[in-house]
Amino acid sequence: MATTLLLERADVRTLEEGCVTADLSEARDRELVQRIGRGDEEAFRGLFGRYAPSAMALARRVARQPFLAEEIVQEAFLAVWRNPSGYDQQRGSVRAWLMGMVHHRAVDAVRREESQRRRVEESMVSDPLVSPDPADDVADRVDLPEERKAVRAALDGLPAEQREVIELMYFGGLSQSTISERLGLPLGTVKSRTLLGMRRLRGAIGGTAR
Amino acid sequence: MMRDHTRIEELLAIRSLGGLDPRDEAELEREMASHGPDCEECRRLETEFEETAGRLALALNPVAVREGFAEETFERAFGPATGGAGARPAETRRRGWLRPLVGIAAAVVLFAGGVLVGTAVTGEQPSEKTVLTFQSETEPGTLAAAFTPGSSGVYMVGTGLPTLPQGKVYELWLFTGDTPASAMCATPTSDGSVFGFSDASLEGVGLMAVTVESSACPSAPTTQPVFTAEVSA
Repeated sequence: MATTLLLERADVRTLEEGCVTADLSEARDRELVQRIGRGDEEAFRGLFGRYAPSAMALARRVARQPFLAEEIVQEAFLAVWRNPSGYDQQRGSVRAWLMGMVHHRAVDAVRREESQRRRVEESMVSDPLVSPDPADDVADRVDLPEERKAVRAALDGLPAEQREVIELMYFGGLSQSTISERLGLPLGTVKSRTLLGMRRLRGAIGGTAR
Repeated sequence: MMRDHTRIEELLAIRSLGGLDPRDEAELEREMASHGPDCEECRRLETEFEETAGRLALALNPVAVREGFAEETFERAFGPATGGAGARPAETRRRGWLRPLVGIAAAVVLFAGGVLVGTAVTGEQPSEKTVLTFQSETEPGTLAAAFTPGSSGVYMVGTGLPTLPQGKVYELWLFTGDTPASAMCATPTSDGSVFGFSDASLEGVGLMAVTVESSACPSAPTTQPVFTAEVSA
């Protein structure tokens, strides 16, 4: 019993520390965006250094072409530089805003590619989300380890059928109807699995915008 | 009594992941409009799903950006560096970008003098104009530049060009040596024609090239040229 309590307290402390870290991290991001709004080049360099590796991972995952991924990431960061007022803190965190821009651009790009299905099939076989990766040293340099763990844990915690549609949609850049065709599922099933999965994820990692 | 948000919630969840089909996108817009701009529950759902989706990116292992990529991005944002120990490898990049141009045939000078492209637009008196047709190994259609040697200003005129993907434009670059300067961006119309004018100086320009770029009109080319034309001295 004492051991259980001890473990629970440790878990709570870890959770609280993680929240504090996330708050500080988000506050720093907001400050960077505010400074970018004043034309501060160092702030832009700081934001780039902080999130370019994550943005590149996302763009490469969705677009599957390194050159295209670079264009996507560069355009997203330039959009931040040119229009930092596009960020509204009432609408969420800086990182979600930035990754949203990268993702939207990547999805737009991949939808134009006719070979989308083949790329996604290859990616799903050969490129699991959290497999050991030589870029882990990069992860160590980007100070979001707790948040990464939380996101991965939240995804791993989904029922397999919900995780599948969410990963195909977000990381594969597939539309709901394409997923329906690929998996041989009614469109309504794809929609309901997406909603159920996103509700769970929202509760775990994105319930409130800081 | 709070209205039912189940359908909106479902569509917002899918949209946040980028998976919404156009028909459902239209339905979502209609639903949101029916709830009105002051629907707090709609805003809350939208914000929370966008936040959740944005954070999913963190599930991926970060990827180290290649050497030079950061500096290229900063250069596009801030303008060229001025040198020093931390000087950016911009010239290297530009030369690398130019490499595919080697071997492309010089543009054909269609004719000189009496070209009325500028006249038709500006109403000025006819003047000595040079028209260059661009060469392309990949693009159908015809693209030409018209200008008066020694003067500022260049027109870009094209016909039979392919439709560009949404958000993409043709961007004309004027090369002085191996340094490109953006002259204009233009989007072909639905019938494949394009027309644009830039008052850029042509002094020292030895090469014109056209790339397909984002509609943001980047300050340095990010893709390989699809049309090129050498400018005679």
